[in-house]
Amino acid sequence: MSDLAIEASQLVKKFPAKPGTGDKPSEGGSAPPPKRKLFPFGKKEPNAMFTAVDGVDLQIQRGEIFGLLGPNGAGKSTTIRMLCTLLEPTSGTARVNGFDVVRQANDVRRSLGTVLAGERSIYWKLSGRENLEYFAALYHIPPAIAKKRVEELLERMEIKDRANELVEKYSTGMRQRIAIAKALLARPPILLLDEPTLGLDPQAARNLRELIAQLKREGHTILLTTHYMEEADQLSDRIGIIDTGKVIALDTPEGLKRRIDQQEIIRLEVIGWQEYIGDKLRALSEVSNLVARKQGEADLWEVNMQSNNSRAVLPKLVENIGQNGTRLVNMNIVKPSLEDVFIHLTGKALRD
Amino acid sequence: MEATLSPQSLGKPGLASDLRAFWAIVNREWTIFKRYPSWIIALLIWPLIFPMMYILTARALSGVDGSGMTVFTQTTGATNYIGYIVIGTTVWMWQNIVLWDVGFALRNEQMRGTLESNWLSPTWRFSYLLGHTGPQIITMTTFILITAVEFGLIFGVRLNGNPWLALLIMLASIPAIYGLGFAFASIVITAKEAHTFVFLVRGLVMIFCGITFPVSLLPGWMQSIAEWMPQTYMIHGMRSAAFANASFADLLPDLKALLLFGAFWLTLGYLLFNWMERRARQTGAIGQY
Amino acid sequence: MEITALSQPTVAAQLRALWIIAKKDWKVFWRYPLNAVSHVFQPIIWVTPVYFMGKAFSTNGQALGFAQYSGTGDYMSYVLLGTALSNFILTVFWGMGFALKEDMDAGVLESNWLTPVSRLHILVGRTLTSLLTTTITSLIMLAVSALLFGFRPTGNVVAAILTAIPMLIGLYGFGFAFAGIVLLMREANTLVDVSSFLVQGFSGANFPVKSLPYWLIPVSLMLPLTYGFDAVRGFLLKTSTLFPLNVEVTILIVFMFVMLWFGAWIFNRIERKVRTLGTLGQH
Repeated sequence: MSDLAIEASQLVKKFPAKPGTGDKPSEGGSAPPPKRKLFPFGKKEPNAMFTAVDGVDLQIQRGEIFGLLGPNGAGKSTTIRMLCTLLEPTSGTARVNGFDVVRQANDVRRSLGTVLAGERSIYWKLSGRENLEYFAALYHIPPAIAKKRVEELLERMEIKDRANELVEKYSTGMRQRIAIAKALLARPPILLLDEPTLGLDPQAARNLRELIAQLKREGHTILLTTHYMEEADQLSDRIGIIDTGKVIALDTPEGLKRRIDQQEIIRLEVIGWQEYIGDKLRALSEVSNLVARKQGEADLWEVNMQSNNSRAVLPKLVENIGQNGTRLVNMNIVKPSLEDVFIHLTGKALRD
Repeated sequence: MEATLSPQSLGKPGLASDLRAFWAIVNREWTIFKRYPSWIIALLIWPLIFPMMYILTARALSGVDGSGMTVFTQTTGATNYIGYIVIGTTVWMWQNIVLWDVGFALRNEQMRGTLESNWLSPTWRFSYLLGHTGPQIITMTTFILITAVEFGLIFGVRLNGNPWLALLIMLASIPAIYGLGFAFASIVITAKEAHTFVFLVRGLVMIFCGITFPVSLLPGWMQSIAEWMPQTYMIHGMRSAAFANASFADLLPDLKALLLFGAFWLTLGYLLFNWMERRARQTGAIGQY
Repeated sequence: MEITALSQPTVAAQLRALWIIAKKDWKVFWRYPLNAVSHVFQPIIWVTPVYFMGKAFSTNGQALGFAQYSGTGDYMSYVLLGTALSNFILTVFWGMGFALKEDMDAGVLESNWLTPVSRLHILVGRTLTSLLTTTITSLIMLAVSALLFGFRPTGNVVAAILTAIPMLIGLYGFGFAFAGIVLLMREANTLVDVSSFLVQGFSGANFPVKSLPYWLIPVSLMLPLTYGFDAVRGFLLKTSTLFPLNVEVTILIVFMFVMLWFGAWIFNRIERKVRTLGTLGQH
């Protein structure tokens, strides 16, 4: 019996692509511009494949919280769906709780509690309690135990006083709590949480993170996906950074940050940033991974860069900014965060 | 064998829990159904007004002096034109409702987002379709009873035959009608304009199965097609049993046909379901819409 | 720094908006090819059992019983014309309110409604497309049915078309009011289903109103559409009509004006109510 809660080996998932979005560029250059059709019947194009997950390896220890961190479209949801048996991998293998996800799918399902798409995963025309009772039966929990368990979870999620109201009347936070209670019903050893705090207000998100930490203390293994770096940093024992279908780094949060430890992060706030300044600064040897992002409507930009010698860089910064209408508003030199690790590894920002 | 670790899983697989899961699905559908109030009106009104339109047409066709009706009686052999029409239209409505209810069972869940969370559980997946038919059969039985009562009371339609045999025909029809629903449910999950398929299938029943006319009036090639549709035998069998005082022996051909078709459609429905389920795991169709 | 709004409400702009809405609906309609084909063939499917039932009452292709009510033994032409006109009933009942509801469900309604184009304008724009697409599908349906069942219009085509126009316009006017009601209700399916079915029936789509039991005839007489169906058939098929043709045409014209005004008025009131109730965003 393996003591790995989840192990995945070279997981690959390819989907038939929508026309024009496949992996390979289409033959013969770009398609002709679409004619203005009076009767626009859909036309079928030859099937290209789109690789969502491109060889992911994971080894998740029992009792740990593992964070899968990456931007939207990186392949996090697809990976989770393969692990919980909703999707079959195109190639590669995965075992959850020692069971193969393809050949022992039902055993895998018994071992998992999963939260995907939070509030849409429960029945709005049923009450919170009815939802939990229903799913308890689907997970083969004997009725006497199920009853107690449902009450226990309603209490723990603080929904007991509204448990008999229809879910359609709940707030998003409450619906998410029911979804989580649903995942915990059969007391599964392993939990998969796909973007659990997405759409929650800060207090609710905070409470949920507290709960996740508690669940770990109770012995659950948790795999969670997120694109919030603070969340991954705060909760995870280890983090896998995933981008364009591949795990590009896997380590503890500290370990990851230490990778660019020799680097410092220079954070600037600039008004009227222009590309040529970025090009000039990138040309400097002490500067790497410069990323500039516009903040909101006004011409305010956040510019991040990594430097191994900020002392040498600063005067050159000041020299280049402060001309042609560009103004430096704020500057900070900080220790690297996970986001910076991400930028370091991929050259792009985590949030786009 | 599962690892012993804390926490300990609470699930206990086995036949009892499979049955309980099935019951939970039936219960869930029934509960949700009751919470959409418009069903009451639908259930009371449609049994009456749908056949009515054809009955009124028949009255118009029979003329001021009723001479048209003599022609009808000669052509159809039916003395009770109201009963004749009501049976045809009711069978049509039954199939129609099953196509919408059972046919869209999975797709509706997919659109809501709950199909995925059901799929994540270790319950046998065909139960979701089977469980759906539970409440459906109850509502349809009510529908048919209401029809019988309404036409019995308002129009004085009286049975001329053995009601148990009529019931037998109905029971024998269940596998075919619901099997078709299962097949449908699996196909429409990824179909873009799924409702047009319902229109198509119920349209075929409307054209070929003799809902308001005898199949013998159809040109030969259309009759051949009608012979392949279970609803034809349903209508014929019900009319014979309810209004032509048919005996069990008279009804045997219809019963045999119905059971054969039933076996076919149930098997096909199950196979299509498995095919769809496997395909969805490969393309991820379950979660998307 | 001041921001100058670009929106200029002029008549030309309103008309352009109407045109854009109509164009969008046209494109969307044909993007569901199965649905478009279904629009043509559904009426034919529904007419088929009527055809065969008619045959069960006919000798030598003539429905003599029917002739006693209508003045013609040609039952199919009678029914086909009724079916072609019924298409518009279906489109109005299902199309107007549910087009709005679909938008609502897809979240698009609010973005459409946040634009300064008058809400009624939006409905009118959709009406144009709907009229056009339904006319096309009805004509195709008639052509196909003529091949299958036989259609013999022996009367005055122009007069028939001219008569249909005020009826259709009035019908769409009614559609505005109906759309408002559909907006107000959460579950409008049953209402639309039942009422469109009953209206079709009682307007005489499938049988002469005269053949109804005497206590049901008043229901038909109250429906303006009854006179429309009757008059169009009177002109095109030379059937005997309930009232003299010029009386029926006058009724239709009055109906048209009344409905246009009434429908718009109801719609505006309901729309305002929906805004105060805040129903717009929920579904």
